[in-house]
Amino acid sequence: MRSREGLVEVFSTFLQLDGDRFQTWITDPRLRRSMEQRLGQSKSDAAGLSENYWALYWHKTWQGQTAVESFQAIARGHLTAHIQESCYWVAQKTAATFVTSQTGLADCFQMAIAQIDKILKGFDSQQGFNFKSYASAALNSIIRETLRQKQEIDICTDWGLLRKISQKRLTEALQSAGLATSAIAPHLLAWDSFKLIYIPPQANGTRKLPKPEPETWEAIAQRYNQERLGQSIPTPATAATIEKWLLACAKAARTYLYPNLISINTPKPGQESGEFLDDLADQVQTDSLLSELIAEEEVQTRQTQRQQLQEVLIVALKNLDGEARSLIQFYYAEKLTQQEMASRLNMKQYTVSRRLTKARESLLLTLAQWSQQTLHISPSADLLKYTSSALEEWLETYFAQSPESAS
Amino acid sequence: MTSNLMNSNALCLEIEPMIQAQTWQQSHALATPNSQWTAYLNQLCWQTLLPWLQEDYLPTATVTPHVVSLPTFWELTTGTALRLNDRRIILIPTETIDLDEFRIPQEWVDIPTWAGDYYLSAQVNPDEGWVRVAGLATHRQVKTQGLYDMGDRTYTLSDTDLTPDFSSIWVAQQLAPTENLRSELSPIAALSPTQADNLLERLGNPTVLTPRLAVPFEQWAGLLNHGGWRQQLAERRWGVVGVRSPVQWLQSGLSTLAQSLGWQAVTLQPGMAGARGEGQESGVGWGQSLLIQDQPYELRLSCLDPAQNTWRFELQSLVPGGQIPTGFVLRLLTEDLQPFEGNEDRAMTPVDRLFLEVALESGEGLVWEVEPMPQGYDCEILRF
Repeated sequence: MRSREGLVEVFSTFLQLDGDRFQTWITDPRLRRSMEQRLGQSKSDAAGLSENYWALYWHKTWQGQTAVESFQAIARGHLTAHIQESCYWVAQKTAATFVTSQTGLADCFQMAIAQIDKILKGFDSQQGFNFKSYASAALNSIIRETLRQKQEIDICTDWGLLRKISQKRLTEALQSAGLATSAIAPHLLAWDSFKLIYIPPQANGTRKLPKPEPETWEAIAQRYNQERLGQSIPTPATAATIEKWLLACAKAARTYLYPNLISINTPKPGQESGEFLDDLADQVQTDSLLSELIAEEEVQTRQTQRQQLQEVLIVALKNLDGEARSLIQFYYAEKLTQQEMASRLNMKQYTVSRRLTKARESLLLTLAQWSQQTLHISPSADLLKYTSSALEEWLETYFAQSPESAS
Repeated sequence: MTSNLMNSNALCLEIEPMIQAQTWQQSHALATPNSQWTAYLNQLCWQTLLPWLQEDYLPTATVTPHVVSLPTFWELTTGTALRLNDRRIILIPTETIDLDEFRIPQEWVDIPTWAGDYYLSAQVNPDEGWVRVAGLATHRQVKTQGLYDMGDRTYTLSDTDLTPDFSSIWVAQQLAPTENLRSELSPIAALSPTQADNLLERLGNPTVLTPRLAVPFEQWAGLLNHGGWRQQLAERRWGVVGVRSPVQWLQSGLSTLAQSLGWQAVTLQPGMAGARGEGQESGVGWGQSLLIQDQPYELRLSCLDPAQNTWRFELQSLVPGGQIPTGFVLRLLTEDLQPFEGNEDRAMTPVDRLFLEVALESGEGLVWEVEPMPQGYDCEILRF
């Protein structure tokens, strides 16, 4: 893969794959202009900032309450461009380790990058330092989890699957299959009635659930017809119709694995690209975030903080007992699965899972205390989610640089 | 065993095969296939998570209000409350493969006696035999970030709103143990006994598949906010009547079900409390063991005079020679939790026993309570 050069390219180009192989970098003209404009307008030292500062800047912009929608989409686009390589490498590694002939590198790449919003929402620039490291860890989890779900979906019969899909996922799947909003409501009610009435007859046969018997279909239809009036659904349904709808639901659910990525290039109705860019220019002038970020003091402070955090966490890692340290090492440096860790340490997989949680916990406590004292972030239950992802980020970076130093 | 694709930092716990077989059997006591399945999933969930919490975090972690009360919740909706120190954690099992959303029944959020500090999404896979801690949210988050779905009366959080890491409960507990994790709730209007009776009559019929959606939430919440009515509703749906009726116990002895709720027959010493009635044969009564501030006590109930329908409630220590400490209160309330004259006995100094004697109308319901609250206390309506 040709590596990208310069800030403009890093924040405005996207990987083009040919099958599972790198083909070229494609420029998004709008993102390119946005980046050039920014570099041109801001003080000269903006160009000297590292990629990571720009990533933090775009993340702050994305997070900002005041950002207009189109501006937020631009920020999202820049960050998506920024993590292209990370996503590629994670996808490649996962594809090499787990994937069957049906799901290759390109699929892994696509399923991960499509969930960019998940990645953006998990990060907080108050607590995190390096967006790309955080994103690598998050992308890895996302690909694995998506593949796990796919594997589980493939095992299920249609009827088993219908009991095992969330309402949110099913709704999105039906939308993505092209159903009109008015058609989705009856499908959902039929599905809800199915779940209420068709209960697995065995303690552990939820995946291989057989097709319901005719009397069950009748009961489902009866439930549907009772409830539909309360929900203002005009369409009555017979058992046969319900069955047809549910099969359509199952099909949509199997096809839909992750949200379709909406390109920022898609112009909104009535919105000419000219206006769009004018919006941007206005934003640039009123934007103080960047000048805050590049203030010499701020850069200094963040570097010092990062250094301090490094020292604190290295001590915390050293203080873990041998087993806990091995688990952390296996996970972050060697990327082992729980099963692999279990066989290395000769313990059950579930024990690995518990011990690893415990090992991470003492590090999380250390990090939360440090954030409280140094960054003045209150250890509020809601904010610990970001502390936890900051820890992931740190461990990811640390073990990528010095995989042996913790052992 | 979980899939090899399970993320290595996911917290997965094994369901003991024995527990799975047992809970499957037990779940059949509930009224409908759907509530049976709900009970099954919830049992798998708490019986797997609680031993882990006790071992890795806090030996005193427990379900609340009490193990025997849990099926009365599952008959009506899904979810199990745990107590971890002063925090209430509501476990909500899910069997979905994807974890895109966390749906929490409104009861657990908006009914004051049900609400928790944390909500824990637990993915249960009965086929592979594991439970995975999928994420957490605080009550405040559910109320501020959650979307309310009128269709099934749930609050829905997106997976990105959840804290994925269970450790954060524990870390928060150490760094900010007193943080208020709850949003303020609107009070629930109390129902009159007649209103409650009408609802119990209507919703106690198990052919009403989703009683929680059959009446406006205000009424439903008014009914469920009262533990005694919650029990009655579930018991009616199971076709169980007269379980908590001392009049029936007097006539035909304690049923097995009443015994499973903690009551047992006790013999009262002649000349002692409960055997004062004229011509009454040696005292028969019923006792329930209570644990209050880690000390054992017994609540005793005996009939003074069946003809007059007069009854005596008595609280005493189970420690030989033990007394009731100053400040303890034994209190009786009407069915709809109203006080009445002479309804409490308070220990002003350490005493041997607290007691109350009441004359009741036939069919009248009473609720007993003790201050401080006994461990595992679940308000119950006794029918006289």
